[in-house]
Amino acid sequence: MRAFELVTAKDSRHAVALLAELSASAKVRVIAGGTDLMADLHFSSHVPDVIVDISRAEDLKNIAMTGEGLSIGALVTHTQIMRSPLIRDMFPALVDAAHTIGAVQTRNLGTLGGNLVTGVPSMDSGPTLVALEAVVSIAGPAGRRQVPLAEFWLGPRKTVLKPDELLAEIIIPKQNLSKPTHFLKFGLRKGQALALVNVAASFRVDWDKNIFVAPRIALGAVAPKVIRALKAEAYLEGRTVTPEAMAEAGRVAVGDAKPISDFRASAEYRKDLVAVLTKRALEGAYELAKAKR
Amino acid sequence: MITVTINVNGEKRTASVPPETSLLRMLRDNLNLTGAKLGCDVGDCGACTVIVDGKTVNSCLMLAAQADGRTVLTIEGLATADRLHPLQKSFENYGSLQCGFCGPGVLMSAKALLDENPSPTVPDIRDALGGNLCRCTGYTKMIEAIQVAARAMRGEPAEKTA
Repeated sequence: MRAFELVTAKDSRHAVALLAELSASAKVRVIAGGTDLMADLHFSSHVPDVIVDISRAEDLKNIAMTGEGLSIGALVTHTQIMRSPLIRDMFPALVDAAHTIGAVQTRNLGTLGGNLVTGVPSMDSGPTLVALEAVVSIAGPAGRRQVPLAEFWLGPRKTVLKPDELLAEIIIPKQNLSKPTHFLKFGLRKGQALALVNVAASFRVDWDKNIFVAPRIALGAVAPKVIRALKAEAYLEGRTVTPEAMAEAGRVAVGDAKPISDFRASAEYRKDLVAVLTKRALEGAYELAKAKR
Repeated sequence: MITVTINVNGEKRTASVPPETSLLRMLRDNLNLTGAKLGCDVGDCGACTVIVDGKTVNSCLMLAAQADGRTVLTIEGLATADRLHPLQKSFENYGSLQCGFCGPGVLMSAKALLDENPSPTVPDIRDALGGNLCRCTGYTKMIEAIQVAARAMRGEPAEKTA
């Protein structure tokens, strides 16, 4: 690995100050869990001049209920998500998604913020959070700003973060707390595999009318970033909850996806997966809705 | 150069390393702890697995500086001078390793699993070994050995496994 300078941030405020100071004259990268960056440094010719280590910023490691909703610090690891009683109770889909990432060692190191910032379209943290309309809080020299997660990515590995900004917190808004949500990933193996397609589906049920309320479907690995399946959502909104409606929503979702063919799978195969996984994710969310009724 | 002090296998060790040094390189090159292996060096194979503050990590993915002040357990810390760890004994009995390159990582993953879950199911064990690639022995004998070691560590009599 080629040489770089390393500075350690004490907390998020210090990290932002370091980024503002250093990014003016140098190519700077941030390291948290390191599971993506350390591999990148091996394969990429773009070695940064300076790396800011934020792994000791304790203020970014909390999982807490706030006035805005459920707040998850950017440095919370995938293992911590899997073990948080709060998250296990409210959002089992987030636990399932975290469990599909890498392996135990990478889940112990890797952070939620890192998974989102790296911004690969097949990221497993993305779909559930997008379906739950999560918002990210970005720390910069002028303070915090909030951006809907779905607008945080500009394309593969590209985000709205400026060189002097840091992803600080992921917030699931109050109105979506405990909203029944289900996540499914299809990879070539159970462990250490990237998603060919991953899907999260989330909705509430108006039990008097037995109709879908606020259905949200998010798809990963089928577009330059994690996307909402807006046509499928529109199809379901207000419709009677039936197995046929869920199957049809899966077929409609194929029209929302724009997959590419690569060495992992063809576009056609990914489209078939979108239909099947969307249907099954809706069925999973419905089971949860019935259990929570 | 950066000065890094870690508590490794119960001993405080300090090294002065370039900033880009991984924990794995520091263990191997500076502290002469060559048990953790350099395999893929990008977090895929698990041959470099060590336990940091009770959790397994790929030591190739962690900067040495990020381990400063933390507690590290490597394969060298598993056995004492006169006694193998029950997992090591069990791996020996069951022929769970052939070339052995993946062994130090597999054993640390198994150790961390049993520390948190003394009675793991087979799916629990498979999940725990998901980040450790073995290309010669295969996993069946490892899973058997871990079940037997777990039983021994719980103080239960040995019993034939599946």
